[in-house]
Amino acid sequence: MHTPQEAGGHGAGHDAHHHGVVVPAPPGFVPHVVAHHFDTAEAEFSADKLAMWLFLATEVLLFGGLFAAYFYYHGVYPETFKVGGHQLNWRLGALNTLILLFSSYTMAMGVRAAQLSQKALMQKMLGITVLCGLGFLVVKYFEYAAKVSHGLVPARWFSDHDHVMAGVENGHLFFNFYWTMTAIHGLHVLIGMLLILWVMKGGAKGRFYGGYYLPVDLVGLYWHLVDLIWIFLFPLLYLVP
Amino acid sequence: MTTYVPVAETEARQEPGAPHYLNVTHGFRSWALTLDHKRIGLMYLIGTVASFLIGGLLALLIRVHLWKPEGAIFDPELYNQVFTLHGVFMVFFFIIPAIPAALGNFVLPMMLGAKDVALPRLNLASFYLWLCGLVLATIAIIFGGVDTGWTFYTPYSIQTPTAVIWMGLGIFMVGFSSIFTGLNFVVTTHKLRAPGLTWFRMPLFIWAVYSTSLLQILATPVLGITLLLLVFERVYGIGIFDPKMGGDPVLFQHFFWFYSHPAVYIMILPAMGVISEVISVHCRKPVFGYRMVAFSSLAIAVISFLVWGHHMFTSGQSEWAMMAFSFLTFFVGIPSAIKEFNWVATVWQGSVALTTPMLYALVFLIIFAIGGLTGIFLATLSVNIHLHMTYYVVAHFHYVMMGSTAIAFFAGVHHWWPKMFGVMYSEAWAKLSCLLIFVGFNLTFLPQFIMGSQGQIRRYATYLERWTPYHQASTVGAVILGVGFAIMVAYLLHSLLGVRKARRNEWGGVTLEWDSPSPPPLENFERPPVVTREVYDYSVLNPKS
Amino acid sequence: MSAHSAHAEAHGHAPGAPVLVTHHHVSTVAILTKVFLTLVILTIITVGVSQVDFGSANMVIAMLVAAVKAALVMTFFMHLRYDTAINNIFILSSFAFLALLFVFTLTDFSTRKAVNPIHAKRAPIAEPDTHYLWKTPRTKEHKHE
Repeated sequence: MHTPQEAGGHGAGHDAHHHGVVVPAPPGFVPHVVAHHFDTAEAEFSADKLAMWLFLATEVLLFGGLFAAYFYYHGVYPETFKVGGHQLNWRLGALNTLILLFSSYTMAMGVRAAQLSQKALMQKMLGITVLCGLGFLVVKYFEYAAKVSHGLVPARWFSDHDHVMAGVENGHLFFNFYWTMTAIHGLHVLIGMLLILWVMKGGAKGRFYGGYYLPVDLVGLYWHLVDLIWIFLFPLLYLVP
Repeated sequence: MTTYVPVAETEARQEPGAPHYLNVTHGFRSWALTLDHKRIGLMYLIGTVASFLIGGLLALLIRVHLWKPEGAIFDPELYNQVFTLHGVFMVFFFIIPAIPAALGNFVLPMMLGAKDVALPRLNLASFYLWLCGLVLATIAIIFGGVDTGWTFYTPYSIQTPTAVIWMGLGIFMVGFSSIFTGLNFVVTTHKLRAPGLTWFRMPLFIWAVYSTSLLQILATPVLGITLLLLVFERVYGIGIFDPKMGGDPVLFQHFFWFYSHPAVYIMILPAMGVISEVISVHCRKPVFGYRMVAFSSLAIAVISFLVWGHHMFTSGQSEWAMMAFSFLTFFVGIPSAIKEFNWVATVWQGSVALTTPMLYALVFLIIFAIGGLTGIFLATLSVNIHLHMTYYVVAHFHYVMMGSTAIAFFAGVHHWWPKMFGVMYSEAWAKLSCLLIFVGFNLTFLPQFIMGSQGQIRRYATYLERWTPYHQASTVGAVILGVGFAIMVAYLLHSLLGVRKARRNEWGGVTLEWDSPSPPPLENFERPPVVTREVYDYSVLNPKS
Repeated sequence: MSAHSAHAEAHGHAPGAPVLVTHHHVSTVAILTKVFLTLVILTIITVGVSQVDFGSANMVIAMLVAAVKAALVMTFFMHLRYDTAINNIFILSSFAFLALLFVFTLTDFSTRKAVNPIHAKRAPIAEPDTHYLWKTPRTKEHKHE
């Protein structure tokens, strides 16, 4: 299409574009350089944030498939799911819920600190978040170990040698859901922890400040989603209604 | 606007040695690590066309095998593997990425007046995910192939000794490649439109690719989790889809078609976008009912999520669900018909130039009408029970997928070829090849409608004597089709020698990509484009003598 | 966050001061803390309700509480309340499309017996060799006709 030169005032004198716009940083921080194909830092921020939300939408649908299958079989075998749910330790499940909720809280505080260029506070909050994630996985490990000792493991090796599921049909199905859903969720926790550690590495170098806190924000969104999924997993698996 | 683009500018050809995206850097690394959307699009183009040729070769083998009622080449097990691989390569490695990832990657940022897609690194990562998927699929072929059909229905896909795990993981990868491409395009469309390019000034190709991208984002994750569960099913037997362990195979079909029905619109929607562009440019007319065509893309995207159960009418679904799905399926006909009618109305009284892309577009109009209308019969519950799993279904979706989507893809390739490489192909050979493809295609698939409606079941390695004439006609058609494509590959490769340089605006288009030299420079435009006119306003171009 | 200030700040050549505080919305510590405490209380409610048998209402209550918790996390921790309309639309539409998957698959499951009672015989699906539906008495009924 035709592009009248006179209307292009916006782009005039932007030879620096090829190297990207610089967002000035307070002392002690590394200024952020905007990617070359964005005109402003705000354009870059809003584009990347939109991308992250779209990615979260795909995560919702990915886990959503598992939840749909859960409800389907919960409808087919209500007894199996009820008895299966009683085999899980809801106290440990509740503890893990509180741990994840707290980690979400510290994550939100970490993003806030980044927005205000409070480097030390941000690193502290992100550190607590990672530790919470670690705590979650440790609790999970003990739960898994208890299940393995009862032979309540994924189907091919499902032995149920204490016969806790003997009275219901297809007792293994509940535990297949339990293992599949918590394992995929646990993988997300692990990935989230690694992402936070990666952000902390950049944070230590002073990359994130009021003018540029995008990676902290995006990793935070991911971490909150992991929490969000657990909010649904907890009652469905541990307190089967 | 009354400014005219001078003829000298639209007719200009790149000076030899002028820097453009192809020659600005050299070497393997400059391609393997490129973040330029045009180079990534080109790599996709090579990859998808290669997949198409592999899939096409397999199709030819299938047709040759079916020359005789008892089968000419394969034993039945091998036949199952061959038609599965044909389906997998064509669907997952060619059609789904072909138009959005190959043509879309090249054209979409340019049409928007952007320097690149919003997330160039993710774009490259998508390509490598696609490539990983291809590698895993190749591994699957080496480790015993797959014989489930491209739909991987349980419980057979749990029991078969073939390499379902490798193929499942490969398609999982390709799925995420597709998700990330869609995500990238949505963000690009929202955030990187040139100043003045409002939503209703966007070319219809963008609308179509945007709708496709929404489908890719919202539907593909469910395929991902389904294939993951299938892999778990085979690795450690979770039993969710295995009736022996209390699972329900119909649930697998629900999950699979929740993705794969929208997926057929992932395939056809961008094709419709290409056709809108091609018809408008080569008829020198704005697309009739621009807004309706734009909205019909979104409507198709939404409706496509409501109809997946029509693939499961004989699978043991509940009757109520079947009625609902059948009823809802008819609604897809409305936006599709809006498009078809509007294209025909665009051609009407247009200044039609019978160039190669336009010929392909006309072929599309004819074949899509047949493909779409036969879909109405299949949507009808009672008729579907009779036609399910027959060659009628094969013919229907080849009319839509191959005859419409692939034809539109080639319309797009011929339309943007001069822009991509700055060279022109031989129009005479191109028209001959188009004719052969049109004749060959119809000869291949029209007989399949007939024998399908008479009860010939699909996916069998052998058939009864009485179907011989239909199968042999179909095979002859397939060979003609093959010759047509061989000619196409030959003249397109020959054109790359650069005998005929392409003009800057080879066809007289007015969307933004034609405002850039052919081939375009690294960041697409010599000056940042500003849009001041309505879309498809051909009045700015000086009328050619 | 006005577009104007965003523009001014983002342009490096404006003699702008270093960006110490973002121009985006910053949540107060009080809000975040209140949300966290509410989430803890809701978790306690979830556990408490599950100990009482309300019949099928248990599932509804559990999911409603979980939905409220999820909404709180999204609105405040994920800043959705202060985010752009388009981000809101996309994430909410993902839930809408997920609802389609739920509605249709569960409709199929829950109405299988509605028209053809033969579907009720699918229950012993786990027994070997009986999961092929058409081997069940249906053929006999047809002969009867």
